[in-house]
Amino acid sequence: MTDPLELPKAGRRPRQTFELEETGFNEVPKRFRRFYRRWRGPGDKLGPNEALCPVCKVVIRSTKELRAGDRVYCMPCMSRLELVEEDGMLIAKVIY
Amino acid sequence: MVDFLSNYSIQKWLESCPQGYLEDTIYGHGADEREPEELLQNDDYREQQIRTTVQLIAGERCALAASSGLVNAAPDQASKTFLATQTLDEGRHVEIFTQRLFDLGVKPNDLESTIATYINPHLGKFAEVLLEKIDKKDFVAGVVGQNIVLEGMAFSVFEMLHAGAEAANPKFARTLSGTIADERRHVGFGENRIGDLIRRYPEKKPEVQRMQRDMTKHMLATFHEAFARNGGPAEARPSAPQKGKPAPTYQGLNMAEASNEEMEGALSATVLKEFKTRLGRIGLEYQSPV
Amino acid sequence: MTEADNPHELGEAEFRATVHSFEFWFEAVEGYLHGRPYGVSPGLEEVDLTERQRDGLITTLCNYCVGETAALDASSGMIGFAPDRGAKIFLATQVVDEGRHLEVLLHRMKQLGVADPDAEIARRANRSLLKFKDRLLEFVDARDWEASVFAQNVILECLEFTVFRHHAGTADPVTAEMLRGIVSDERRHMGFGENDLGRRLLTAPHTHDRLYKIKRQLDSLVLDTFAETMGELGIEREERPDLAGDYLAAVARLGFRS
Repeated sequence: MTDPLELPKAGRRPRQTFELEETGFNEVPKRFRRFYRRWRGPGDKLGPNEALCPVCKVVIRSTKELRAGDRVYCMPCMSRLELVEEDGMLIAKVIY
Repeated sequence: MVDFLSNYSIQKWLESCPQGYLEDTIYGHGADEREPEELLQNDDYREQQIRTTVQLIAGERCALAASSGLVNAAPDQASKTFLATQTLDEGRHVEIFTQRLFDLGVKPNDLESTIATYINPHLGKFAEVLLEKIDKKDFVAGVVGQNIVLEGMAFSVFEMLHAGAEAANPKFARTLSGTIADERRHVGFGENRIGDLIRRYPEKKPEVQRMQRDMTKHMLATFHEAFARNGGPAEARPSAPQKGKPAPTYQGLNMAEASNEEMEGALSATVLKEFKTRLGRIGLEYQSPV
Repeated sequence: MTEADNPHELGEAEFRATVHSFEFWFEAVEGYLHGRPYGVSPGLEEVDLTERQRDGLITTLCNYCVGETAALDASSGMIGFAPDRGAKIFLATQVVDEGRHLEVLLHRMKQLGVADPDAEIARRANRSLLKFKDRLLEFVDARDWEASVFAQNVILECLEFTVFRHHAGTADPVTAEMLRGIVSDERRHMGFGENDLGRRLLTAPHTHDRLYKIKRQLDSLVLDTFAETMGELGIEREERPDLAGDYLAAVARLGFRS
């Protein structure tokens, strides 16, 4: 299966890749835990491979840098999300 | 009653079930256990297994509908709590037996049509009698129908299937042993909780006994048709892979050599004996459908 | 790491089948419930509460019990008319979650010295929340899937999610840990509701107007309950969490104007 995150787009710099470490998040099965972390509140800063789930306020993490158009899953609340750019910021929106 | 019901708390359930005998299982069996190759390669044998598994799914779907419906009708908090754990046990059984159909080669898109093809019509009638009581939120009749009659039947059927599968199909046997462990709690709750309610509402007896008689009639018809079509558990057949072990036995019968009639008789006698004993303990008299 | 371990590489159907399963629930709750009887780590020490704090906490816990009983009765009743096997199995996991919440809340009340929790709940229950419960169970009795999911998994769960998260941040350590475990469950319940309803509204837009009417009926009950709970916890108006923000954002995502 092709990973949509790996598809190159002409003229863009290649995506950064990330090694995901355990974060202490424990609300999904073990093998998926490193893909999520808790949101630490307004002072928290999202990395280029992270998005905040608007439904359950958990941070979703990817092994690749995230860009507009990417689709990710929030397992803790079972939502499918798409990243969109709004006012220069990357926002996750739920796709039903 | 309060002390007895405290044994059925969710905390106890968590410790004994998900964190106990189900720990390190996937769909109720070991991660490295598979259906035997001989079974998957033999079309007749595989079809028998599909037919058997369909009946298990149908029974568990009925149990899921019944136990979830009873939560709302339960007269006290502790019974609601126990029935919440039973609801999830039944949901898990639906899931693991459905997964077994997939393991036997049924495609997810063909699930419902496979069930419709192989379901024993008498089992549907058995479920209807019970679900009618649940729809009326009749707690006493619902618990007798679900936790004494349905679970009592399931308990014996699982034990027979387990005896047949133990040597030839360790994966299926392991799946069954987890469900048997669950059923023990369910029948235990049924007997202990309902005995008290039958004493308090003796006027319910005739109606509950009628329900038991009707469910028993459909259960015996289910067994008759199942053995006529499928025979005994497929793993117990002489052609089944026994891995060099002696043929399995059930109630003293050699399962590889017993006729369909003998197997049907042994299972029916076991279930009915259990019914009589359990019903007697809670103050009800077994009603024969014959 | 294999492909199957990367959740973002799952197909949509595969993702839904994974998360709506007993197996998923089983491995997820293991993470935050194992070794925590009644949702609390053994050895976690109690702090002294003033009589006023204790009394306020008991009233709050009584109301949480009303909400959880409503959710237990509703989610179990919904299994009978859930539209597919995945939804039935998910609801079976929700039933046990709600039963557990009720159990840990009653256990906490006993630790706080309440001898007869049922009598205490009857005495202290918030009237608006009881009305909400009655309305929710009417939808369930009518086997109305959309209204039941909306009232329970969107409205009630959103209320609980917001209140419990905030309360966990200010409560004594034992109550806080217990509430954090409940919040972890509520994420699944709330997400299931919003996503199920979201998909349904896309294919049946006429449902929208009907649900909007229900929302208008229930809004005042939800907001009254919220205000009263915050008062019992002694939280000043300006320090209260933004229920309106969380709740209105959830319904706005489903296309409801406020």
